[in-house]
Amino acid sequence: MIGRINPFRRNRQPGDDSSIVMDSARKTTGGRTRNRVIMTMAVFFGIYAVIGGRLVYLGFQDPVPSGAPASRVTASRPDIVDRNGEVLATDIKTSSLFAEPRHIVDADEAIEKLATVLPNIDYEQTYNKLRSGAGFVWLQRQLTPRQQSEIMQLGIPGIGFRTETRRFYPAGATTAYIVGLTNIDNQGISGLEKYIDGQGLADLQQSGLALPKDLAPVRLSVDLRVQHIVHDEISSAIERFRAIAAGAVVLNAKTGEVVAMASVPDFDPNNPVNAQDKDRLNRMSAGLYEMGSTVKSFTTAMALDSGKANLNSTFDATRPITIGRQTIRDFHGKGRVLTLPEVFIYSSNIGSAREADIVGIEGHREFLHRLGILERMKTELPEVARPVEPKVWKKVHSITASFGHGFTTTPLQTAVGAAALMNGGYLMNPTFLARTVEEAMADATRVVSEKTSADMRYLYNLNATAPGGSGRRATVPGYRVGGKTGTAEKVVNGRYVSGKRFNAFLAAFPMDDPQYIVLSVIDEPQALPGQGATAGFNAAPIVSNIIRRSAALLGVEPEFGQEKAATLASY
Amino acid sequence: MFRTSDIVLIGVMVAAAAMTYSIKRDAGEQLAAVRKLQAQIRTEEETIDLLKADWSLLTQPSRLQRLVERYQDQLGLEQVNPYQFARIDSLPQRPLSIEDITAADAAGMPIDQTRTGAVE
Repeated sequence: MIGRINPFRRNRQPGDDSSIVMDSARKTTGGRTRNRVIMTMAVFFGIYAVIGGRLVYLGFQDPVPSGAPASRVTASRPDIVDRNGEVLATDIKTSSLFAEPRHIVDADEAIEKLATVLPNIDYEQTYNKLRSGAGFVWLQRQLTPRQQSEIMQLGIPGIGFRTETRRFYPAGATTAYIVGLTNIDNQGISGLEKYIDGQGLADLQQSGLALPKDLAPVRLSVDLRVQHIVHDEISSAIERFRAIAAGAVVLNAKTGEVVAMASVPDFDPNNPVNAQDKDRLNRMSAGLYEMGSTVKSFTTAMALDSGKANLNSTFDATRPITIGRQTIRDFHGKGRVLTLPEVFIYSSNIGSAREADIVGIEGHREFLHRLGILERMKTELPEVARPVEPKVWKKVHSITASFGHGFTTTPLQTAVGAAALMNGGYLMNPTFLARTVEEAMADATRVVSEKTSADMRYLYNLNATAPGGSGRRATVPGYRVGGKTGTAEKVVNGRYVSGKRFNAFLAAFPMDDPQYIVLSVIDEPQALPGQGATAGFNAAPIVSNIIRRSAALLGVEPEFGQEKAATLASY
Repeated sequence: MFRTSDIVLIGVMVAAAAMTYSIKRDAGEQLAAVRKLQAQIRTEEETIDLLKADWSLLTQPSRLQRLVERYQDQLGLEQVNPYQFARIDSLPQRPLSIEDITAADAAGMPIDQTRTGAVE
């Protein structure tokens, strides 16, 4: 083409000199050109070899951590709601501020700017963090959305936000012991939070499948309103009686559901600084106590259930019983022969010992095991104590056990045993998850006969209505409360001391068909002026207040029966 | 030289390129909109969670009790008495008052003879 466009070139070609010159020139420089090409190739090969080698080297190297840590997929937990759907525990997203010190241009300026939004920031510590040269440091956890947007406005290079999931407990201390706690990695460490982890959630989180949307809320048997009433009552009781601890439980007698359970002192799960303190213990399920006279319910039921006694049986309580070095006396001694109902309502230790006597030592022990009083309770809550009983039961053990000394058990377990006595004789494991009567009956075992249960209902009712009955202070008009007091002297340095008491009141209502068991305990209450310090003066009013305030919420209808009071209706 | 068919094909090619470009651009815009909406949904969901927690905090029985105690006097609040609970069928018939009779009379309605307004 060039030839065609520029035809004159051809005419010049016959001048052979130039071609010879060119040829020779190519020949003279030919070797050098090839060398240059090879050298260039070698240089390029070299460069690429270095780059390739470096790549391989870097490939084997662990990357230096930079930027925020990977988002934690393990953080999601299901909500926990009460039986009416009120939230007890939920995940909320909060933003946390981090910095990448390598990308910070001017640490002083950054701190000064941050201080305008976060006045509490620690200058020296933050400065050291920012100059540390680390890839990643947290500056402030859990900011408010407002602080976040303000920091964003500052436009500081090298800082950023990461949303973190945080567990939030709207009910605070009210449900602290039931719901429990999670640690910083959102793993359950106590209460039902721990139970949920044990039910496969931990595995789900491990595999990264625990997505917030797929986790159905866990519905508890607890009723937040009743729970608040219980918590409120024991909180005011611990102050009024200057006690060291108090607790109460409301148990559904038909299903074994724990409707409310609280123990004070407690802690705020949103700020659990004192959750590990020595006195922060769920006394209802993890505290072991000698339950005192409330246990006479079981002794009486045992005597009735054995068939060797009935409501007309009499027991000689004229003289104290002496066995070994111990002498068993009555607190309200009558000094005469008592009928079985009298033994119960006067809370006679001697009479109870005689009741245990007719059943025998092994029979007594077997009965307490049958009612689950001496077994480790099976329930969802992980904090459950194992009852302590004498290794070998002798006569003296049977006698002391008949009025609730010489063995320790948990208050919750006592309430569960009482539920079995009230509901027709069916023992069911207490549960913190919603359960129907049918589900409860499927797992229930019969422990006493229908007849015994009916007799026990009669005795509970009698104790609250008969003159001289110890449960009178727990009655609530219209709600037919029956119950049994228990005042146990505490053991200090191996001796029972009269000034320190552990009081309990075990109640059921309404007595014609008990729906709920209410048990209150109070540890070392002080007597109010002009009153005693026995259970009738402190533990019983707690129960009475709880029932008065919560019966309507629990769906129990008041009924005035013989009282024939006019129904209040205003037109 | 270019033939007519070439020109047509070139035209088609340019048109196809332009269309592809605009579709791709549209798709990109839609994708961006989807991402934006998804982010918005996520924010809304988080806000809902936060508001739910806030709601349960505000309706805590303990908080309501504090409020009731504070405004008890102003609002004349009193604790419910067990006597105040009853089923509708346990309430007595409401006795007829003289106003009921005159009102029924004025409306020209017959008065139930079995209920005269006398003491029942």
